[in-house]
Amino acid sequence: MSARVAVLVFPGTNSEEETHRLLRDCGVDAEIVHWSRAETLKSYDAYVLPGGFAYEDRIRAGAIAAHDRMMDFVIEGAQKQRLVLGICNGAQMLLETGLVPGTGPIRQPTAAFTHNTSRHFICMPVTMKLVAAPSRCAITAALPEHACVPAWAAHGQGRLAAHADDLAVIAQGDHVVFAYAHTDGRVDASAVPNGSALMAAALTNREGNVLAMMPHPERDGWGYSHLDRGGRRDPLAPSGGSVLFAAFAAALRVSA
Amino acid sequence: MLRFKIKRRELPLRSLPVEGADDATLRDLASREGLALRPDELRKIAATLGRNPSIVEVHAFDAQWSEHCSYKSSRHLLKALPTQGSDVVLGPSEDSGILHLGEHNGERYGIVIAHESHNHPSQVVPFEGAATGIGGIVRDVLCMGAEVIAVADPLRFGRVGNETSQQHYIARAVVDGIASYGNAIGVPTIAGDCYFHEGFDDNCLVNVVALGLVKESEIIHSFVPPGSDGWNLVLVGKATDPSGFGGASFSSITLDAEDAEANKGAVQVPDPFLKNVVMRASYRVFSLLRERKLTVGFKDLGAGGIMGCSAELTSSGGYGARIDLDAVNVALPGLAPEVIAIGETQERLLWAIPPEITPEILAMYNDEYSLPDIAFNARAVVIGTVTQEPRYILTHSGETVMDVDIDILTGSIRDELPYDAASPMHEPQTPPPPRKTDVLAMLPRVLAHHDVCSREPLYRHYDGVVRGRTVLARGAADAGVLAPIWGSRLGMALSVDGNPRYGAIDPGRAAEHAIYESIRNVVATGATPIGLTDCLNFGNPRNRAHYSQLVQAIDGLAQAARSFGLAFVSGNVSLYNEASSGAAIPASPIVACLGRIADISRVVTIGFKAAGSPLYLVGARQPWLGGSVFAELENINDEYLASIPYDTARREHVMLLAAMNDGLITSAHDISDGGIATTIAEMCFGSNLGAHIDDPTTAWGKDLGSAGAWFGEAGGFVIEAGDDAMLRERYPELCRHRIGTVHAAPMLQLGDESIAVSTLFAAWSNPLAELYP
Repeated sequence: MSARVAVLVFPGTNSEEETHRLLRDCGVDAEIVHWSRAETLKSYDAYVLPGGFAYEDRIRAGAIAAHDRMMDFVIEGAQKQRLVLGICNGAQMLLETGLVPGTGPIRQPTAAFTHNTSRHFICMPVTMKLVAAPSRCAITAALPEHACVPAWAAHGQGRLAAHADDLAVIAQGDHVVFAYAHTDGRVDASAVPNGSALMAAALTNREGNVLAMMPHPERDGWGYSHLDRGGRRDPLAPSGGSVLFAAFAAALRVSA
Repeated sequence: MLRFKIKRRELPLRSLPVEGADDATLRDLASREGLALRPDELRKIAATLGRNPSIVEVHAFDAQWSEHCSYKSSRHLLKALPTQGSDVVLGPSEDSGILHLGEHNGERYGIVIAHESHNHPSQVVPFEGAATGIGGIVRDVLCMGAEVIAVADPLRFGRVGNETSQQHYIARAVVDGIASYGNAIGVPTIAGDCYFHEGFDDNCLVNVVALGLVKESEIIHSFVPPGSDGWNLVLVGKATDPSGFGGASFSSITLDAEDAEANKGAVQVPDPFLKNVVMRASYRVFSLLRERKLTVGFKDLGAGGIMGCSAELTSSGGYGARIDLDAVNVALPGLAPEVIAIGETQERLLWAIPPEITPEILAMYNDEYSLPDIAFNARAVVIGTVTQEPRYILTHSGETVMDVDIDILTGSIRDELPYDAASPMHEPQTPPPPRKTDVLAMLPRVLAHHDVCSREPLYRHYDGVVRGRTVLARGAADAGVLAPIWGSRLGMALSVDGNPRYGAIDPGRAAEHAIYESIRNVVATGATPIGLTDCLNFGNPRNRAHYSQLVQAIDGLAQAARSFGLAFVSGNVSLYNEASSGAAIPASPIVACLGRIADISRVVTIGFKAAGSPLYLVGARQPWLGGSVFAELENINDEYLASIPYDTARREHVMLLAAMNDGLITSAHDISDGGIATTIAEMCFGSNLGAHIDDPTTAWGKDLGSAGAWFGEAGGFVIEAGDDAMLRERYPELCRHRIGTVHAAPMLQLGDESIAVSTLFAAWSNPLAELYP
């Protein structure tokens, strides 16, 4: 029996549909689970937290959602080594729960994705480059080394920030799985759209079963998403950013 | 003390002593009650009712008879616009129009489209005003039973040169307001435009277009169906508060600097977080209604609040309504009945549903989607009943506070106002003499002009890709393109246009150009235009010159739409846009064009594709420079606008679309602001390539002078040929003006002179970066 994946909807989530569609197009048995059915989350094998503005980003993006009843099940699942992928607002929640980088107690975050240097929302295509060994994180294990994944940054609070000591722990522990890069794969500060520390686009936890990723690969997920930036493949087939979801599907098969 | 108590008890029945009063008294009464109604209108109300109106009634008529709700000075003019066509599913009769997109898996799909303005609110409280503009239009689309799939924002700001000016602040705050709302509800902004002009210094324009996707068999109408006597009226959303009281009338007066503080209270407070949940809950309700095969009524609360919405929802089905204002969920106690009835609190909708389904729908909103936990006292609640008797009755604290014939309340009224049919700037007979310019010196200045330069710093604040169905985000092509149906290759394109520099010269011709340009932008992506909407932004209709502009613009719209064989399916009129000095804004007929793409893999973008490709000009150049960016930079103020060769343009569009569908055109970009030199530069920016363009004065632009050739803004396209031999064989008419070739080196050679693309890009990409960091 294939692994069942829950795509969580908090009040204010807005990216559940495309995330769910791309997971299914990549062969994942995914279902959307709404906050009024939080108790059903127990029975799922993995969790995907999609983008949006849960609880209106009050206090800080993801801060209130980290205390939502649904998150109790996500934390429990993560501690049982289930796979958890948070995208954008979902990534912010994973940092606010402390699951990522996972170097401190639960719900006492040691790092956050907070306001971009510009203090403004940005929406732009970006490239995420795999800068850790693929096997560092279970979700990226099926990707080739140094894989470049196209995605869209679409956030007002995507800058990784932490105390210097905590940043050192993140850097030394190879928690930064993806860094922002130019389309040709060069990683440097000028490719970082938001001032993120360590040029980080995505972080994992110590065990590598939880991935918090600011850019949205699902918004560059089909052939039609990048007709202006590439060839003319089947417009409806998964493409581009979908490699990340395909890798997630592969990781589910390994963990099953 | 005693007197005070008696007065309080009488309060609900307080009436306005209109009968027998003279004009001065009536003006005084209106002013004290905050009414925009004129003495003759007040007398008409009393005469119709046969008594003095109650306070609630007079506020109800004030909203319903405002220009904003009644279109009293424009409705009869709008009849000139074509509204019928083979792609029209629903014309301009409800909250939104609907155009047929195509079929997928045996189902017919429609695109719901609505077009609105939020000009005065955005001028007074820019962030909230712009945000609630998005909020309102999204409800107009949602209430047709549609999934909201995109928004677009045509913006007109004043001069923003001074960082500490109000104009600078407004231009920033409006964009922040749009971004904060659209991004949070998860609807992508896929198109828009932005102009800066001194005519908007005191009155910015914030127009907004929203699109929805609906199966044509599942449209929900904004009227109650036959047999709805006794049905429940269910109010959904935010708790009613005093914000937005008098909003409809506020939109129907000229903004006065002295009233700026007072006017702020007429602007509503946005709550995109609640709206996100209300939208998703409503989608859930739509699926329940489909399962039960129920036909119901659903309408957005906009101008006139609960009263305006419920009266129109019921009367347009031939019924009346009875509403208990005490049943309304309110944000604070002690609200006057007229505030509950007419205030324009945001994020509210009204259902008319049979009582047997009411408990399930209430449970969906209140329990499954827990509205009361999302915002204070937000919920779905039964507030009244649809009645067979065509009366509109409101009760409050056990008293009847309004009881009128519903058809009088919602019936149309008309103001006959004087106007001049033709613009004082009539088309001159002889073309202007050719003008010369140093094209390489002028081009960077044109590219850096605020109306030409890159919009990316602004667009970057908007989420253009949420929902994952964006094919071409704003900026990648002349129109925004979506693949709206999961699993289908059907695509749609949207463009919004309207050039204020043209409007300042000739409102009628500017209106024609607005349609022509929106069509070109859609065609440039490979989409076939299928329908139009408009928002007519003009000055005070009681000023003959201003009203004449509106009349002329509607004539121009009608002519251009008929010439292109397109219908208007929705629209909006926004009047009283002027400075306190009495100067009107530049005539601003703003048009949106929707297009259909049968197969999104055929979509065409701006950037050059391959070195060596031939470039063709489609659309002959004209000598007129009036209204051009070049004319503004060179202070040329006495020239007329380019004409529109309708027959040729229509034929060219058909051929372009056919050639694109054959895959013979690899890039295309329309010629508009900044002329063909700008078009070609932008095609270089969209690639890493350059181009060599032949000297126009000896080739494709003879007799025009270098200025007219490079910077004239007559409509047209530059296209890059893929298979050139095949293109010339099949579509010779598109290949009449070969103007040059794409080059591998990133240099733009214009005639004998050349300039680095990077130099041009630097001029074009940065000017708005300071305004929109």
